This record gives sequence, structure tokens and C-alpha cells, in this order.
Amino acid sequence: MYRQVIAALILLSSQAAAHEMTPTYPKWVPSHMDGVWKTTMEMFNKRSDVEWYEIGVFDENWNPVNFVTSYRLFSMPHLSRVKFDVYIATPDVAVAEYICSKSKLRLISEQKTMVASRVCSRFK
Amino acid sequence: MKILIALLAVTPCVVGAVDVPIEGTVQSRCTIDTDTAGVYGNPNAYTLTTAAADGGVQPITRFDVTLADAYYAKVTHPDSFSTAPTANATVTFTGETEVSAVGDAAMSGYEAAKTTFGNSTQFDLTESGSVWLKTSSVATNGGDKAFPSGTYRSIVVAECIAK
Repeated sequence: MYRQVIAALILLSSQAAAHEMTPTYPKWVPSHMDGVWKTTMEMFNKRSDVEWYEIGVFDENWNPVNFVTSYRLFSMPHLSRVKFDVYIATPDVAVAEYICSKSKLRLISEQKTMVASRVCSRFK
Repeated sequence: MKILIALLAVTPCVVGAVDVPIEGTVQSRCTIDTDTAGVYGNPNAYTLTTAAADGGVQPITRFDVTLADAYYAKVTHPDSFSTAPTANATVTFTGETEVSAVGDAAMSGYEAAKTTFGNSTQFDLTESGSVWLKTSSVATNGGDKAFPSGTYRSIVVAECIAK
């Protein structure tokens, strides 16, 4: 029976690919709106097997913190570089500890990539 | 007129010499690179494993950091299938992440200093450069029952977290 199971069951992708986000230590700065702060992040997608990334802001215990971006989940073509602003309310400035980007994998993917990468910068 | 043009042509141009600076900024960053694919081998009816002895391949993830002591690398081995022919709650997952290679001798202590909690293993990237981490995964079907035929996939999560 077990021989009928696919001989090499794919766990992860076979291609080199990378995911990067900067800066490592972003800062909140006042935005053009009262009571709202913003920070600017930059991402570079060298993962040819991943097209979508998700942004998240977390406190020191990794609980989600409310924030606003143009797109929480956005498309990044391979080898593209994207700058995006993240907005947060003044009370949350002291609470926000991490900002992370995570690759989103397609469940049905011809690429068969199964490594989810997440890069987190920290507010100090 | 021709004389005037000739004079202008041979008159050396006087240009102001200015310094043209070239500026560049190198900022700290962490890059996660999915270096090697992982493949489950199938040594018997009820086990899927990435062990080389059983026909599997361990996935390897490379972490590149440009600033020492700025990031943690965290790798979480799977605790479920992301793709499987049928849902099966009786599968037990185990796994481990260890240093596969280092780009600098100063990183030789990473393996001994790693911390493990749950399915996650965390490495303190105290040096700048590259480190390769390999992850093993074993899935065992409960009661030694055979896995149904089909494709099985699971997800390893590789994270780079600023300190």
C-alpha cells in the first residue's frame, strides 16, 4: 500500500529564494493627521515562488496591534521592491513592538513551495 | 566668419571642477533564503520522514544578516499537513532544527546555544554573515495504519526577528 504513496512526497520547494524587509529598527513619526503616526518600510521579494505578503504589527507578547496600510495583504512580483507606509494611533505607539511581513503560500501551487518566511523589525 | 568658428573650436573650454560624491547606505537587514527543498521519504506505510536514510531530504534555510547581534532566527517544524488526501487527526509530528553550516567560525557556538520551545527552535545570530539551518520532520500515522495514497505537504516557518 505504502508503495502507492508518492515516492518522494514534497515537503518544501527546490529553488533558492529570499525575502527581505528593512529597516531593522523603524521609528514612528507623526503623520499628516492628528493622533496618527506612521513608519515607512521597504520589502524586496527575491522569492520567485511567492507573490503575496502579509503585514502585521504586534506587541511584545505577539498580540496583534491595530494598524492601517494601503493593503494588509499585497502582491509583490518577483524581484520587485516595495515601499509602504504603516499608520497607527497614538495610544498604540508605545504598545507596538514588532512589524512583520510574512510570505503567503498558495495551497495549490505548482511551485510546491512550503517554506513560509517571516521577517520582523522591531521598534526600539 | 570661418576664422571665428575656428577660433571658438580651438579655444579650450573652461569648466568648473566640482566634487561629485557617491553616497551609499548599508543598513542592517536579514534575508531568509529557502536554500534546499525538503522531501518526505516513505520508509513504511505509516511513516513520512525527511531523513536521508529513508529517502527523504531535509529542508535547509539560509539566514543572511549584515549586522551582528541584531536578529534571532527562528524555525518551526510542521505540526500538520498543509496538503493531504484526507484529514487525519491521528498523525503525530516530530521534528528538529539544527545548524547545517556556518559562514564564519565564530558562529560555531550557535548549535549549542540554541533554544527550543514547542515546535520552534531559536538561534541567536550574534555574528554577521550566513548560517544554514536544516529541519527534520517525521509524520507517523496513528495505530501504524497506512497513509492513504496521495501527495502530502507541510510547512516549515522560518522567521527572522529583530532583537
